[in-house]
Amino acid sequence: MPQSKSILALCRHAPYGNTLAREGLEAVLACAAMDQTPEVLLINDGVFQLLQQNPEQIGEKNLHRNLQALPMFGVEILYVCRKSVEQRGLCPDDLCVPGAEITLLDDTGTFIGKFDQVLSF
Amino acid sequence: MTLHIVNQSPYSGCALSDCLDAIAEGDALILIEDGVYAAAGQHGLPEKQTFCLTADANARGVSIANSVEGIDEARWVALCTQHNPIVSWFK
Amino acid sequence: MQFTLVVYGAPHSSEGAATALRFARALLQSGHAIYRVFFYSDGVHNGSALAAPPQDEQDLLSQWQALERNHKLDLTICIAAAQRRGVLSPSEASRLEKTSGNLADGFELAGLGQLAEASAVSDRVVTFGG
Repeated sequence: MPQSKSILALCRHAPYGNTLAREGLEAVLACAAMDQTPEVLLINDGVFQLLQQNPEQIGEKNLHRNLQALPMFGVEILYVCRKSVEQRGLCPDDLCVPGAEITLLDDTGTFIGKFDQVLSF
Repeated sequence: MTLHIVNQSPYSGCALSDCLDAIAEGDALILIEDGVYAAAGQHGLPEKQTFCLTADANARGVSIANSVEGIDEARWVALCTQHNPIVSWFK
Repeated sequence: MQFTLVVYGAPHSSEGAATALRFARALLQSGHAIYRVFFYSDGVHNGSALAAPPQDEQDLLSQWQALERNHKLDLTICIAAAQRRGVLSPSEASRLEKTSGNLADGFELAGLGQLAEASAVSDRVVTFGG
């Protein structure tokens, strides 16, 4: 299937507290596997997905580790809202996914408006 | 231009303020479900192109401020055809 | 125009599914087409045949089924999200060695690829959060 629409995955939720972060990642990987590779924007609490995590004691799979599948599926740039990072007192250096380039965005509104479809997670 | 949809009360979470942080000039905003509690006014809503589902406001006893346009579902559909992409802000 | 609706809300839990139904009816009345309704996350519970709301409350399941019958709607439930939450077809139930399936008539279980495909071919995608 040819890529006919540009798709943005808008990831607004932290891992573990609800399933949206994990189910959002699964949807992104599924789109990429169907040659509909979306761009990914981590914004609001979604930026917490990029922290190092140790969820073994709460019986969860490590979402941060699973994010490392993204570059292998062709999602090589992760867009991150700069304001969301700063509001949460995070340092951009704390945010990383091996194999992916982190690009901080200042104007998320203009960025979002460029896409045909936005899937919110 | 983008159509933003917000379904959460501005008093219970950040969906509306997160949306307003990411709204671009010329975008439209529609308040639905508990999002209509923002339609009474304040909350830094854009002065233009802010809509509210009248049925959801009526259901909750919310009066809609003059700066917000109450609309029915058919008008919501029309807004969806006039805007792209459509972005939902929830939880 | 061709629309796809994505539903995250469980029925009788959050309002999202009921709002999606109202929107779907308005779309059809306005002459637009619904390419697919994709139920994801907690939205998969919309496809449970075992929901039994009191008679004086709205019955979302029968309303989805009526739309499906009258408009040949494609009601697709994400199979991975559904398995986690216990919405199974009879064949899935038997394969997973569960006592019974509960997938309601009119709904289909399918993979997330159906969301990708619907996003690619639809003019508009509207998400109904939980």
